[in-house]
Amino acid sequence: MTKQEFLSLFEEILEAAPGTLKGDEPLPGMEGWDSLAVVSLIAMVDEQAGLTLSPKDIAKAASVADLISLLGDKIEA
Amino acid sequence: MATCTVSGVRLAGIASAVPERARTLADEAPTFGKDEVAKIAENIGVKERPAAFDGMCTSDLCFAAAGRLLADLVWARDSVDALIFVSQTPDYRLPATSCTLQQRLRLSKRCAAFDIGLGCSGHVYALWIASSLIAAGGAKRALVLTGDTSTYFCSPRDRSVALLFGDAGTATAVEADPSAGPMHFVLGTDGAGRDNLIVPAGGFRRPHTPDTAARRAGDDGNSRSAEDLFMNGAEIFTFTLREVPPLINAVLQDANWTKEDVDAYVFHQANQFMLQHLAKRLKLPKEKFVLAMEEFGNTSSASIPLAMSARLAGPLGERPCRAVLAGFGVGYSWAAVALTCGPMVMPGVLRVSGSVVGAESPEHA
Repeated sequence: MTKQEFLSLFEEILEAAPGTLKGDEPLPGMEGWDSLAVVSLIAMVDEQAGLTLSPKDIAKAASVADLISLLGDKIEA
Repeated sequence: MATCTVSGVRLAGIASAVPERARTLADEAPTFGKDEVAKIAENIGVKERPAAFDGMCTSDLCFAAAGRLLADLVWARDSVDALIFVSQTPDYRLPATSCTLQQRLRLSKRCAAFDIGLGCSGHVYALWIASSLIAAGGAKRALVLTGDTSTYFCSPRDRSVALLFGDAGTATAVEADPSAGPMHFVLGTDGAGRDNLIVPAGGFRRPHTPDTAARRAGDDGNSRSAEDLFMNGAEIFTFTLREVPPLINAVLQDANWTKEDVDAYVFHQANQFMLQHLAKRLKLPKEKFVLAMEEFGNTSSASIPLAMSARLAGPLGERPCRAVLAGFGVGYSWAAVALTCGPMVMPGVLRVSGSVVGAESPEHA
């Protein structure tokens, strides 16, 4: 998965308009970022990258960039 | 994982009962807002949930289901050798609710009766125990009664549980039958997950005090007390991603069935989003994957038999069906069985009024 693909799928989860995320947005207080979105993110990453993200790691993420870094080398450069 | 194959035992019938009163999305809208309620309901797949009348216990629902099932089976009451009650919402701290049900159902005094304190995995666990007892010759006929009145310990101001859980009680009849095919069980436990689905206080580890009963707003904006159910949905979801696919693959392998050989997959009805993700991940045929959450919610150990009563009463009443049943959650605890069941007695889902509360128990007689 590329970073752009991740951002598009994450926009769908947040019900944000396509193309609005750049990747450096802070997570706390972000519109649509709630407990349902966390579960949807885990499902999306499981499906797209075959990786199960840890809820504890997700809770520590301060920004969208932090979430992307949790995917490690599953994000194509 | 513990595995076990039991032969010479069949399911003779399943009946389920829910309170006729239900809570709807409209009931929850004033608390959380209409849009939020609609969003949560869409995700978890629940539109209404049966809710126990004041004073109604799980045993009352199981009593109604068992009474109907015994009548439809035309089983003599003294032919039941064992009664197993699976619940986390018993009538009393003691005695065991199974003892009160033996008397209320007018079963024989020679009937063995005991309780099991499991939730999501409880129905399959009790089938494993009942069928093993019968296969070992300890009983010929057993009643497995499962259910919970979870709405009693769900805070109405906690969105992680308030729209999800419903109340139900079920009865499954199990009996010796030398011609019955094998049942393949796989079971497991991981107590490290205990804190992710828990009612922390009110037991003996942390007894009730006025403080444990006080509801307070937490960091997540939900309000609950230490005597209310706490659920960490994200942790439960990752637990199921880790444990359920290997569990299903293991029972299929033990039964020597392909995914297509199975007629019906009946999983614990935990949360529709999660179930659909698991079905996709396991590549299970969509038309064989049973969903029964919309009008019941998550009914704990009742959800598998309730789903069979609500969605499979027709086919199971008529012909043999290759089924994979799988329960997983609170504990963490999980269990699955691959079995051929039917034709069997399937009275469907009974709607129970408030008048059944405590019916035919000595103190109300």
